[in-house]
Amino acid sequence: RDKLLGVHPTSVSKYTPTKSNTWKCLDGSKELPWSAVNDDYCDCEDGSDEPGTSACSNSQFWCQNAGHIGSYIPSSRVGDGLCEADCCDGSDEQPGVCPNRCKEIGEAYRANRDAELKIQKTGSKIRSTYIAFAHKEQKRLQEEVKSLAKEIVTKEKEVERLRDIAERTESLSQAALEHKKQSPLYQSLLNHNKALKSLKREYQKHADRERQLGDILGSLRTGYNPNYQDMAVLEAVRGWEELAGLPHINDIKKGGDAEEGGEVTTGEGEKAGEPEDDGLWTKDELDGELEDILGTDYTQLLLDHEEHINAPTGDSVLFKITSYLPDSLLPTYEVWKDNLLEWLERLGIIPEETSGATSESSRAQQNLATATSELNRIKGEKSEAESTIVKIFHPEHFGIEGEWKKMDDECLEYEFGEYTYELCMFREAKQKPKNGGSTFSLGRFKSWNTDARPGSPEYYSKQYYKHGARCWNGPERSVVVLWTCGTQNAVTSVAELEKCEYQYTATSPALCLPPGAGDNGNGKNREEL
Amino acid sequence: FKAHDFKTCSQSGFCRRGRALAKRSLETQSWQSPYSIDPSTISIVDGQAVFKAGVKSSLYPDINFGLEVRVQEDGAVRVRMDEVGGLHKRYDEAASWSLIADPKISQSIQWKAGKKDIRAVYGSKKDIGVVITYEPLQITLSRGGKDQVVLNGRGLLHMEHFRKKEEAPAVEATPTPEGGEEQVVVKADNPGAWFEGAEEDALWEETWGQWTDSKPKGPESLSIDISFPNHGVVYGIPQHATRLALPTTTGENAFFSDPYRLYNADVFEHLASSPVSLYGSIPLMHAHSEESTVAVFDLVASETWIDVSHSSDKSTETHWISESGILDLFILPGPDPDAVFAQYAKLTGTAPLPAAFGLGYHQCRWNYVSSEDVRTVQKRFDEENIPVDVLWLDIEYAVDHEYFMWNEKTFPDPVEMVNDVAATGRKMVVIVDPHLKRDSNYPAFTAAQDLKVLVKPKSGEGEYEGWCWPGSSSWVDFFNPAAWDWWKSVFKPYQLEGGSWSWTKSTEDVHIWNDMNEPSVFNGPEITMPKDNIHYGGWEHRDIHNINGMLYSNLTYQAVAARSDPPKRPFVLTRAFYAGSQRFGAMWTGDNMGTWEHMAVGIKMVLANSIGGFSFAGSDVGGFFGNPEPEMLVRWYQVGAMAPFFRAHAHIDTKRREPYLLASPYKDIVYGILRLRYSMLPVWYTAFRETTVTGRPILRPQYVVFPKDKNGFDIDDQYFIGSSGLLVKPVTEKDVTETTVYFSDDQVYYDYFTFATYNGKGSHVKVPAALHQLPLFIRGGSIVSTRERPRRASSLMKYDPFTLRVALSKDGEAKGDLYLDDGETYNHQKGEYVWREFVAAKKTRNSLRISSHDLGSLKPTEAVGDSSLTTYNPKNSYAKTLDEKDVRVEKILVLGLKGNPKSVKVEGTGEDLAFEFMPAMTRAASTLVIKDPRAKITDDWTVLIQY
Repeated sequence: RDKLLGVHPTSVSKYTPTKSNTWKCLDGSKELPWSAVNDDYCDCEDGSDEPGTSACSNSQFWCQNAGHIGSYIPSSRVGDGLCEADCCDGSDEQPGVCPNRCKEIGEAYRANRDAELKIQKTGSKIRSTYIAFAHKEQKRLQEEVKSLAKEIVTKEKEVERLRDIAERTESLSQAALEHKKQSPLYQSLLNHNKALKSLKREYQKHADRERQLGDILGSLRTGYNPNYQDMAVLEAVRGWEELAGLPHINDIKKGGDAEEGGEVTTGEGEKAGEPEDDGLWTKDELDGELEDILGTDYTQLLLDHEEHINAPTGDSVLFKITSYLPDSLLPTYEVWKDNLLEWLERLGIIPEETSGATSESSRAQQNLATATSELNRIKGEKSEAESTIVKIFHPEHFGIEGEWKKMDDECLEYEFGEYTYELCMFREAKQKPKNGGSTFSLGRFKSWNTDARPGSPEYYSKQYYKHGARCWNGPERSVVVLWTCGTQNAVTSVAELEKCEYQYTATSPALCLPPGAGDNGNGKNREEL
Repeated sequence: FKAHDFKTCSQSGFCRRGRALAKRSLETQSWQSPYSIDPSTISIVDGQAVFKAGVKSSLYPDINFGLEVRVQEDGAVRVRMDEVGGLHKRYDEAASWSLIADPKISQSIQWKAGKKDIRAVYGSKKDIGVVITYEPLQITLSRGGKDQVVLNGRGLLHMEHFRKKEEAPAVEATPTPEGGEEQVVVKADNPGAWFEGAEEDALWEETWGQWTDSKPKGPESLSIDISFPNHGVVYGIPQHATRLALPTTTGENAFFSDPYRLYNADVFEHLASSPVSLYGSIPLMHAHSEESTVAVFDLVASETWIDVSHSSDKSTETHWISESGILDLFILPGPDPDAVFAQYAKLTGTAPLPAAFGLGYHQCRWNYVSSEDVRTVQKRFDEENIPVDVLWLDIEYAVDHEYFMWNEKTFPDPVEMVNDVAATGRKMVVIVDPHLKRDSNYPAFTAAQDLKVLVKPKSGEGEYEGWCWPGSSSWVDFFNPAAWDWWKSVFKPYQLEGGSWSWTKSTEDVHIWNDMNEPSVFNGPEITMPKDNIHYGGWEHRDIHNINGMLYSNLTYQAVAARSDPPKRPFVLTRAFYAGSQRFGAMWTGDNMGTWEHMAVGIKMVLANSIGGFSFAGSDVGGFFGNPEPEMLVRWYQVGAMAPFFRAHAHIDTKRREPYLLASPYKDIVYGILRLRYSMLPVWYTAFRETTVTGRPILRPQYVVFPKDKNGFDIDDQYFIGSSGLLVKPVTEKDVTETTVYFSDDQVYYDYFTFATYNGKGSHVKVPAALHQLPLFIRGGSIVSTRERPRRASSLMKYDPFTLRVALSKDGEAKGDLYLDDGETYNHQKGEYVWREFVAAKKTRNSLRISSHDLGSLKPTEAVGDSSLTTYNPKNSYAKTLDEKDVRVEKILVLGLKGNPKSVKVEGTGEDLAFEFMPAMTRAASTLVIKDPRAKITDDWTVLIQY
């Protein structure tokens, strides 16, 4: 047997006999006859006397793999009758067992590596555009912050001015309005409104409870764990299906009858059958129009009512006379009429036009409210922009170079089985049934790979989305996304490896470092012979 | 455990009646069995030890029973009784499914009739006697004047005859009492009330929970008492989660309140100590004492309850109550455990040699979710360089749980996936359950429907529908021969001629897991089929229930073997089983829980199974339910690696727990355990060879190895592995750093790893047992053969060299054997194997000879089971292959040599061998390591040590 079989070229010098034809274990622990080297019997504790056999379980075998990359394999794979891809020259097996496949394996390897390199190159170009984008974003956001700051100053002044107006008009009109609000009609209206609101609240509460119950039963139906072999659960599911008019879940063929149509609404069929007497509202009308009614501005209504009641005054001869007068007399008539009206009002013959003042006050209030909320919106925008600026180059957010900023809130989709899996970057992962039914949150963005150093490529190779919807009888759903370099942002697979724990694989150019950078380039410098 | 899903004895009409009968017998002063033999009807078959006679019950003079007692060639006694000319026929076909052949009846043993009894005396010392007493009927087997087994000694024999419903005596309807406490109201018009009770109790239709059992044939239960007047301990009747030495169920301070039940059932989260029935039933019970071991085998397939009590420390009384079927009972006379194993093996057969990969490590989970997942798991094992032989797929591979039908979304390339696994010398096991989804597009269902081989409902018309994993399902009735050829054709991995459906998307590397074959029916009574369902031949499900699961794995086993030509050994794992199931593969203890208690009881359950002839057994490593902490998982791997069937499995709701996911130091400890298992594969395989021939179990509890040592009778947490001399005591408790091992005999025991020595002689010895330490010992006098090179799969080890551990006895000698064959085909039955014995014997006062010789030539008829060879050719082609591949002994380790070796030579050539010697130290044996003795495994050789 070749004494140097399995020895790495740089260690060849260590495998030479002494003059007395002995040899020392590499750890120096034992001196052996030279014949003990590679004699298929393990003598040395460190396994160094058997580089070319499987005798020492702690040893390694060096495959030269001429034409490809040299490689170590564990000694346990030497002489096991299998041809290893890592030992394409077949030197780990008896002659004749494994043909030398280094040429083809090497070629395939290089082709594969070239392809990967190409992807990496293309990806890294895209990545640099992402980085540029991040810088541009930063600049844009900084500009935005600046202009928003200016806008805030202007808006603040505007708000001040409007507040002033509002306060003044308010004090004028408040007293008159209060008087009118004492009218029995208005009070009764308010009572009706209160009753309606209460009814609506109750109705809403019940509808919510019903929906929640439906959701619970719905997820029981789709997600119940038949492993518990619990016929009581099965009974509940069947009962619900009957009530909700659904086919049995086990009878549904994927892609078959497109049942599970949308939201599950209990007893919809029954309601449709009810007679619509006395012009009562339907459920749809209730849902759609009740809100409008309850949203009525009663003060405005009161003011409008005043105008309506007093309208005939405006329609009297005095107001309509203009149509009979020649155009030349009109200016004189207007002056006269104004004077007359003023007198009539003073004498109490026609009521004073107080209504105008009241609505003016509410209009002033409205203007103030609009302006204030506008101001708050701008302030919010500014602080969001500011915090985004911080995140852009933060290692725990969009990466040291901001390379992930481009994908902020981008949503990727992947279809698998009966579901579409959605991944909204840095936001939330979701599972949407293709045939309708409830969408489940699989978790919200939690962190990158906390086992790695922030900023390192490994750090960005994993993303956690946690605290999704809780599973029936199980944990909260969660997702681990395994990222690799690719020319596209895409989810490439989804698997539920453990119950309610999903693993996505995904590619993104954001992970494509330029070849040569990081640890990606080292491979090609390895022993290629 | 959902107690309300399963009946107690008091909720089962016939059990309630049986127990009430026993209770009355205790309360009645002059109780005497009403059954007796009519001497005028006795007939003895000429030249055969067959006794036949009519039996009458004084309660029903018009009813006729027939009794037949046969003494078999091996001295076992078979007792059969049936009703003659009854309204219906009792089920009498259990033997045809369970026994391998009609047992041979002795031609030499003679019955000798007396006035009151008839007897046969036999045995080499003429010390065995069978006495049949006429009135009352009683059958006694004795040895050396001591009663061993007595049937009907307590007068509890009762075979309920078939009757018409209106025939029932007029008794006022009283509500069925809860809890089985019966009011005894003796009615004048019921003269049998002293025996049967005053009232009819659940003779006909019987309701339990939402289910009503129509019981169309009315009462047909069978009660019999079996006493062992000179045996203080009984073992067996698996499957129950109990101690090996069966605790009592009746009498004062009974440990359990209900009888042991045999009624195959899918019990969710079963208890760790309970007499409730579990997934399988083997109605075989050993009775044991320092003087003798005997056994009874009650060949009945219906629901059976067994009460156990001790009237003294030295005696055991049992009471067997079955729902239907004839009496067909075997008395196995022993006189020791090995003889009982042989006698039982003659009846139900032995385990065949398993496919070698079946002894490797099995990695399972409910579920590996996709073919990519499977590949990734395999890759992780390879990256970590740890061995695994089989990757498993549970029910989620099958679309809609239609077995055979791959979910194409998750398993788009099943054949390629299997081939990728097989490329590293591994196999896959895929689950196929007996329930078929009622789906007109499911070829397995439609074929069974077309063949009309589905189990029928009580009407006997149409198809029974029940609920299981796929929803509404039906079950193939494998009692129907029309199902057999079809089932065998389904597993063919190629297109069948004629175009009927077969599993083309599989390969010969796919083996099968049969689960849920009790059968499990989610909406059925006790999670199984209604008892009044109808099987082939018109038999009710109640008649065949306990056999049902065995028949399914039997047919699957045949189907998998028949895939290839010439056939290859199949691997089939079954959950349900019966007496005889050992012939059809492996079993596991079912859905255990991830608790220390379940880990501990799992060992006892596997031991009980071993006693029941079903050695190829194991528990789910890690526990099926729950997430075991790392320490528990490590201990569980130690338990699993020391069981014949070694599989890790986990419920779908658990976290993943493949060994490579463990952190340090747990991971390395588990890797070490896996490597230990692989190094010991020759030990396991050799132990299997032995069981194929002798029926002796692979795992041997203390009483089996040392039947005369009373102190070992209750020990069921340590055991020997085959005849290897290896004794193991797995730790099944938390936070343990040492444990106590019992060494029975006056012999030295060596720690397998450290060579520390312990002296036996009935001592309980503390041994180190920290988490990384498995208490494993070699008994002095043994030679253990191992293969120490770690490989990725067992198939990659077949030409690896051997290491011999020569553990010298107190007298300085040792021996052991090693059996090898291709592990795959049936060529071993044609003599293609190697069977060697290694012997270390003193030549002179100061020299030791270690030699290897051929056992195949010496004992060709005893080499392998199912072989009729009378000669052996040491130059068979398998042996030649080993010779050509230079398969050899690479190292001999001699433990306990007394004296410093001066030379180690090959005898004959005189060639000097290199060796190293480490003298004995306090409590550690001397170790002599002989390097490469130039010893081919197929050659005779001798090494001479001078000291």
